[in-house]
Amino acid sequence: MIFDVVHQSLQARQRLIPVQALLGDAKGSRLPEVSGRSLNPQLAERAVEVCPTSALTLHHIPGGHVQLRMDYGECIGCGHCAEAAPSAFHVTETFTRCGVTRGGLVRRWDTTTGLEISPEPGCDPAELAREIRSLIGRALNIRQLDAGSCNGCEAEITALTNPYYDLERFGIHFVASPKHADMLLVTGPVTRNMAEAVRQTFEATCAPKVVVAVGACGCSGGIFAGSYAVVGAVDAVLPVDGYIPGCPPTPAMLMTGILEVLRRWKQKMRTGQAEEHRPVRVSSSQLLVKARL
Amino acid sequence: MIPDMLGFMRHTNTTESLHESLRSGRLVSVFGTKGGEHKLSIHYVVDAGASGYQFFQFAVDRPVTSITPITPAAAWYEREVHDQYGIEILGHPDLRPLVLHENWPEGVHPMVTAVGSVPWASGLYPFLEVLGDGVCEVAVGPVHAGIIEPGHFRFSVMGDRVIHLELRHFYTHKGTEKLFEQSPVARGTLIAESVSGDNCFAHAVAYCQAVEKAFGVQVPPRAAAIRLVGIELERMLAHVADVGALCGDVGFTVPAAYASRIKEDLLRVSAACVGTRYWRGIATPGGVNRDLLSAAASSLAAAVERASGEFASLARKVLNTASVQNRFEGAGVLLPNVARDLAVVGVVARASGIALDVRRDHPYGAYTEHVPDLPVFHYGDVLARARVRIEEAVVSAQLITKIAANLPSGPTCSAVDFEKDAQGFSAVESPRGELLYWVSCRRGQIARCHIKSPSFQNWPALPFAVADNVIADFPLINKSFNLSYSGCDR
Repeated sequence: MIFDVVHQSLQARQRLIPVQALLGDAKGSRLPEVSGRSLNPQLAERAVEVCPTSALTLHHIPGGHVQLRMDYGECIGCGHCAEAAPSAFHVTETFTRCGVTRGGLVRRWDTTTGLEISPEPGCDPAELAREIRSLIGRALNIRQLDAGSCNGCEAEITALTNPYYDLERFGIHFVASPKHADMLLVTGPVTRNMAEAVRQTFEATCAPKVVVAVGACGCSGGIFAGSYAVVGAVDAVLPVDGYIPGCPPTPAMLMTGILEVLRRWKQKMRTGQAEEHRPVRVSSSQLLVKARL
Repeated sequence: MIPDMLGFMRHTNTTESLHESLRSGRLVSVFGTKGGEHKLSIHYVVDAGASGYQFFQFAVDRPVTSITPITPAAAWYEREVHDQYGIEILGHPDLRPLVLHENWPEGVHPMVTAVGSVPWASGLYPFLEVLGDGVCEVAVGPVHAGIIEPGHFRFSVMGDRVIHLELRHFYTHKGTEKLFEQSPVARGTLIAESVSGDNCFAHAVAYCQAVEKAFGVQVPPRAAAIRLVGIELERMLAHVADVGALCGDVGFTVPAAYASRIKEDLLRVSAACVGTRYWRGIATPGGVNRDLLSAAASSLAAAVERASGEFASLARKVLNTASVQNRFEGAGVLLPNVARDLAVVGVVARASGIALDVRRDHPYGAYTEHVPDLPVFHYGDVLARARVRIEEAVVSAQLITKIAANLPSGPTCSAVDFEKDAQGFSAVESPRGELLYWVSCRRGQIARCHIKSPSFQNWPALPFAVADNVIADFPLINKSFNLSYSGCDR
């Protein structure tokens, strides 16, 4: 009976995670953090060697120094670096580079001194938590768009609506049509077969068309970069406002990223930097695909 | 060591023996390979029951005669081989492009030719048209109304009733099989994990087992047990989520939310016990990357037991609800003869009266000692598929609690030397059904990796279940199959 189901549900303990505990949390994401103090050229080299994507790379700079470059946008969280060089790399439980610019996903260290080079800050979870009501206003409508993902990101985005995260408490809804959406949450590398549909979905979205690239594939193509059937990361086709890395990003990282993109968008609006006209990156003439939608 | 090893050795390569085998056996997969000097071969895999998986390999020096007229299950496979390798297939009833959409120029076959930059082409895909007064076409997708993967459905309806449904998939085709080629054997696990995200552990284990078989590596018992825990947990997650989503699709949101909470409980306990929510990065050729220590194992087992209890009691109440029965019962019937013809696997097969499960039929890893019970239902409707899922989730939970409480002691990984040339295959019962990996390695790299995903096998059966139902029931029927788009499209 319906009442039995409702009765059992009502007896269950509440699981809602308070927003302060949610933002910046990255447990289970497997993303690595670099301990600059214990970094040395040998450890950096060992980690770069085992990295399956080009997330970790070494760069020789004039003066004989070697820089370690960590691009979180390409990291698939395999944990190989933490296994190969455990003193300098460890899996992190907090992560604040969600919803930032593409450049904000990249960090650099001098491998000899172990110092981080002019770090761009991540987002500030405490500030986001304070501002949450003013950021969202009354409602934010998100249209999730799968541009060719493996469905790992979809599983985590679906989890945002469960009773632990309950996105609706902030007035954030997932909508069925791009015409109802303020934000496109785009997952996956853009495949050749989806490129035209991605472009058309963007065009059907109402201004301001905030675009968020989700996951390693969305940020950089991830493990699929370079495949014959993949056009590239989301920003190969659409103008992207913020990036949420991870393979897949956890629901907490998604939440943090969505808010940070909004915060930066509002700031742009205030300073008058928001673009009026946002064309797609690739024009229809470049994608001579007769859409069959 | 593994019973179907014998079947793998036996290459009885005549067309007669293939046809003979198909008469009594079940078609598992068809795929192409490219040898030296561009010599192409076509391979057929048949499940011959007690005598294991049989492999047939034919050199392609002239057009291949299609087996689709005698084995309809081969239809998509032959279309795929045609797209990938340009192998001519004679007598196939429908050789329209499958994987490569209209944006591909004709005559480009990505598995044979180097495809650096392929020019964009345009064209129209000829959908099957249903003619007659009052017949309407409804086009859905590729972008769907929800957090779902992309794919196109073309319905021909008369009023509310669906006369015909045509699928147009492969929007998420990522060239995964080609991506495996030339990549180091160890890296292959990471690609396998990204084939179908919600079944990532089953894919990783299937790939690792294929590699282990190729190189003759024995997995330590402790690692095999940990893999079993992971695979069963993944199955439980899938089934709990699916039953919840089925409730959501009939507007019964309370159990939908409840099930999503149970799933999240399990994901969080996974993150706490093994550091990853979906068991990514755990499986590796030779064993597992991460040990399940006894404290973690017991907290996992306790969480699973609690989740299973809550889920079973919820599911019982859901199935007792009249409005649910009304929607589930008799909707989307997949008849056993259709299911058999299309060689469907997994939950879909077991809900249509076909007792089929790799864990029982061709046991691997720790399943050689722990054979699970097999719930089988005969009606082939949404209700039957929901029941299979509910019972399987409970069986999985029992397996997890049993194994996690007595993990064998010892190492968690054996060393593997990838240098020699080797071939191997492995089948795993993923949450969606039989998943097979066939790998061929050369000098530490993958020369070819074929993935038979259960979704690729089951998608063609969906239109048969949908036909004659009202179009409004489509989301429900589709959800009851719950097939992966990415796993199918690869």
